[in-house]
Amino acid sequence: MSQSRSPAATEAGRDNAPRADTAISLRGLHQAFGPDAVALDGVDLDIPAGSFFTLLGPSGCGKTSLLRVIAGLDSPDAGTLSIGGRDVTRTAAHKRNVNTVFQSYALFGHLDVAANIGFGLRMQGHDRATIKKRVAETAAFIQIDNLLGRRIDQLSGGQRQRVALARALVNEPDVLLLDEPLSALDAGLRATLQLELLRIQRRLGMTFVFVTHDQDEAMVMSDTVAVLNQGRIEQVGAPAALYERPANPFVARFMGHSNLFAIRAQDAEGLTADFGRLAGDFRPGSHVLLRPEVMHIRPADAPAAGGQGPNVIRAQVRERLYRGSRMEYTVAAGETTLVAVDDNRGQGMYDIGAEVALAVEQSGVVTLDG
Amino acid sequence: MRVIWYAVLVMLYAPLAVVVLYSFNSVNSSAEFVDVSLRWYRALFADDSILSAAWNSAVLALVSSVIATAVGTAMGYGLYAHRDRRLGWLIALIYLPIIMPDIVYGIAQLSFFSRLASATGAFDLGLGTMIIAHVSFQAPFVALLVYSRLVGLDPRLFDACSDLYAGAWQRARFFILPTLQPAIVAGFFLALTLSIDDFVISYFTSGPESVTLPIFIWSAIKRGVSPEINAIATLMIGTVFAAAAITLAFQYVRARRIAS
Repeated sequence: MSQSRSPAATEAGRDNAPRADTAISLRGLHQAFGPDAVALDGVDLDIPAGSFFTLLGPSGCGKTSLLRVIAGLDSPDAGTLSIGGRDVTRTAAHKRNVNTVFQSYALFGHLDVAANIGFGLRMQGHDRATIKKRVAETAAFIQIDNLLGRRIDQLSGGQRQRVALARALVNEPDVLLLDEPLSALDAGLRATLQLELLRIQRRLGMTFVFVTHDQDEAMVMSDTVAVLNQGRIEQVGAPAALYERPANPFVARFMGHSNLFAIRAQDAEGLTADFGRLAGDFRPGSHVLLRPEVMHIRPADAPAAGGQGPNVIRAQVRERLYRGSRMEYTVAAGETTLVAVDDNRGQGMYDIGAEVALAVEQSGVVTLDG
Repeated sequence: MRVIWYAVLVMLYAPLAVVVLYSFNSVNSSAEFVDVSLRWYRALFADDSILSAAWNSAVLALVSSVIATAVGTAMGYGLYAHRDRRLGWLIALIYLPIIMPDIVYGIAQLSFFSRLASATGAFDLGLGTMIIAHVSFQAPFVALLVYSRLVGLDPRLFDACSDLYAGAWQRARFFILPTLQPAIVAGFFLALTLSIDDFVISYFTSGPESVTLPIFIWSAIKRGVSPEINAIATLMIGTVFAAAAITLAFQYVRARRIAS
């Protein structure tokens, strides 16, 4: 790391990030590998500088294609791409100040760890002394200084991941691209490295573009998430916005929601869904989402359940899952199956077959546009 | 099972052992071994026609192997780089010189060169045509070694080079060549053994001035097997074994590097 990016100099610098300016701007990106293989189908996106930005979607949604276009490893069929305000759509990958941490790490087996980290600096023509100094600084920053003399085949998965990260960061890129870098690691190491990546991004204030198919990982790490599906961006927003106000059923399902219903009819007093009527004032939309954590489950005969009031769904418990801090109930309301969660405060559990009432809080009823 | 294995080994190596043994025989006999002597080796190194044949073999082997290594490496990389463009049949074609009977290949080369000679006035049969013929059957072996090494690599390594500021030439110099080095060295020594080994194709493409050791042995043996021939054969066995050992050593190092 250069002096300007040393940890001490940027320790306090995080509060003013993300900065308002845009690191990467994508306009109308199209890419197809054949008539039936459309990878990117008109992508418009602005990635704020200094932010931890995540591209989230199922496999084959185009997120890795998008990352490769930003890196310059593939060129789009149509559209423009600017990095730091400069149009780089036709700039070759090796002339872009962007570096990638590959899913497979792609470390060079014929070089040791130090030479792997120094590869980019060497290709840019830096002298040996500079390369050695910067490699040592970066290795210390990533805490792999003890590995510098090792061969790649002597490293564990987690160590390889760190070397791949150091090999990219040492070049001080405008943007760091990470293609599912944690997917090959076991759960414990993965959680550790998630926090570490976040810490590194906060310290450096660098723009990170992170690709994952794991919505938990996306929510934990990101300032902003873009959800992709079939080469299109479905929604861009902060993790809380995506979870609490998904724009359409795809985003809702991908963020882990299962209580999603088509709206049958809508009138001035409320709407009709599969399981009955919900009263209240709804935005116009085609689907309604009931967030499990805002449906309060009560015994059917409890007076505090709200009895026959509005937004009460009568149901029967079908399954229950003990999840430690909470209980997860699958209940049947007529023909419809709903999932409700209940904080576990030692109040006891409902048996399977028990009649219950679900009191739905107004804030948990979300109408979707799509 | 073990007995069969030993029997096969004996079948393979006993004739070679006999040749090596009788090259040290002190008398001119292939029936009885009298005493250990270097007599035939001395005779060998006094015979100008043998020395010139050995020189021709060495020049042919070295020059053709160097050219075949360069050409074969380029071919192997080309096959790899264009593997997505439905050029798989080219890989099948490259096997042709490998599976073609030597006699057919040799005759084809002979008629090709004589047509070429009558059409252009150049390409008279000699060391030049032999080098071309040898390169044509050595290069596919090198290409296949290089290709199989490249296919075994993570394709993202090539992306990583571009991502880390390496242009095409830097990528070739700092990634592709060092990574291919074991395959290239193994290919070179394989080409060397193939060339020293070859009689049939050499026979058809050689001229009067370009007698190589196998051709010399062939014409000498028509007058009966002399202990001198045993001595040449022993030296050739030694050379080929050495080249094969180096090839194997490089492949072993490569395999270990990939495995670990």
